[in-house]
Amino acid sequence: MVSITSNFQSEAPLHPAVIDALGAIFGQSWADSAKLPSDSRKSRLLLDESCETFAKHFGIRSDGVHFLGEVNLGFYLGIFGLIQPESTFSYSATDRSEIFAIAEQLRAQGMQVEELSCDAGGVITSPAPDAKKIVAWQLRNGETGISQPMLADSALQIFADATSSGLRNPLPKNWRTALWDSKAWGGPSGLGIFAVAPDTKYRNPIPHLDNRIVPGSASLPLIIASAMALELWSEREQAERNHLAALALLISNFAKSEIGDVDVIAATHDLISLSFLYIDAERLVSALDRAGFAVDSGSACQATNMEPSHVLAAMGTLTQGNVRITLHHGVTEKQINELLASLKSLVAEQRAN
Amino acid sequence: MDELDCLGLRCPIPVIKVAKHLKEKEVGYQISLLSDDPASAPDLAAWARMTGNNVEVKSATSFKITKLSD
Repeated sequence: MVSITSNFQSEAPLHPAVIDALGAIFGQSWADSAKLPSDSRKSRLLLDESCETFAKHFGIRSDGVHFLGEVNLGFYLGIFGLIQPESTFSYSATDRSEIFAIAEQLRAQGMQVEELSCDAGGVITSPAPDAKKIVAWQLRNGETGISQPMLADSALQIFADATSSGLRNPLPKNWRTALWDSKAWGGPSGLGIFAVAPDTKYRNPIPHLDNRIVPGSASLPLIIASAMALELWSEREQAERNHLAALALLISNFAKSEIGDVDVIAATHDLISLSFLYIDAERLVSALDRAGFAVDSGSACQATNMEPSHVLAAMGTLTQGNVRITLHHGVTEKQINELLASLKSLVAEQRAN
Repeated sequence: MDELDCLGLRCPIPVIKVAKHLKEKEVGYQISLLSDDPASAPDLAAWARMTGNNVEVKSATSFKITKLSD
């Protein structure tokens, strides 16, 4: 029997058009864009075009766009690059573990560090205005899909973490540094896009001899492929957004009325996080996988350290029996109905034992 | 007060055991739960909110649970 798998994980395969183009892209952009020969000039041109594409979609200047071959390095650059004498640092209780690690290091260095709490809806308490305060501001949480309101106060040094939001959330007006992950629009993994706002007092915190903003060793073919994926994703998002929102609503309504004893943590148009009482998430995820459905989970029994999700715990929501359903472009109502039927019977089966 | 020892048991077992234990009990019934699972504190609080019961945290590994609804 052939098992047809429906993918509801946060990751998705590259767009088929990007996969088809990859060979040609690698063939055209192998040369170092910083050198003089004609092949390098071609690389330079392709790099510039990609910068323009990213800048257009992000609503920023193309000369402020930089690339990272290691996405998570951007958290360090975006925050440490803003540090001045007397800087303080604020981050949220629902932030990523990379930001927690940075906060710990800054605390150990003697900096004043503040953890911002969040309410039951996952909305983070706005930090008090202070021009010396660097704020790590996650535009959208990757685990719950919850978007943060705009930070209105300009007297803050904002590092905008757009790694999960991609194009879904605009940058706050007063952002200073920002980071995107190419995976957020179905682009190739292993590429971060880093930006510094004009007139920002930024200093590359990694030892360097010239005036470079980032190490600059990102793969040019991946940059070009990611710009192509971004264009394709953006077009399709316009067409599919309402359809996905309707499916997300269908899932949360079904979970509440047909399954029950469930905490619907968030239901944005493309991410639904559900926690079921009396359910072992690892067993549920495995059973769904055997039924042909791939989903994510934020429950402790799914984590290597056996700790419950700090994001769910900070919001005061149930951490056990958690499944996270990501809706990618192209998902159909039929696939969702099949997933929900399977989810209902597997939850009932586990609760009966 | 009765005591339910769930030390060493991982999520979601402590919450399942509490719910099963309370099932046949009267409203107002209280029990002391011992659990060292790091998910127990957030999950018991969420369970209480979702099912209309009460959980009081006595220490990192000890909770007092009061049945408030059937």
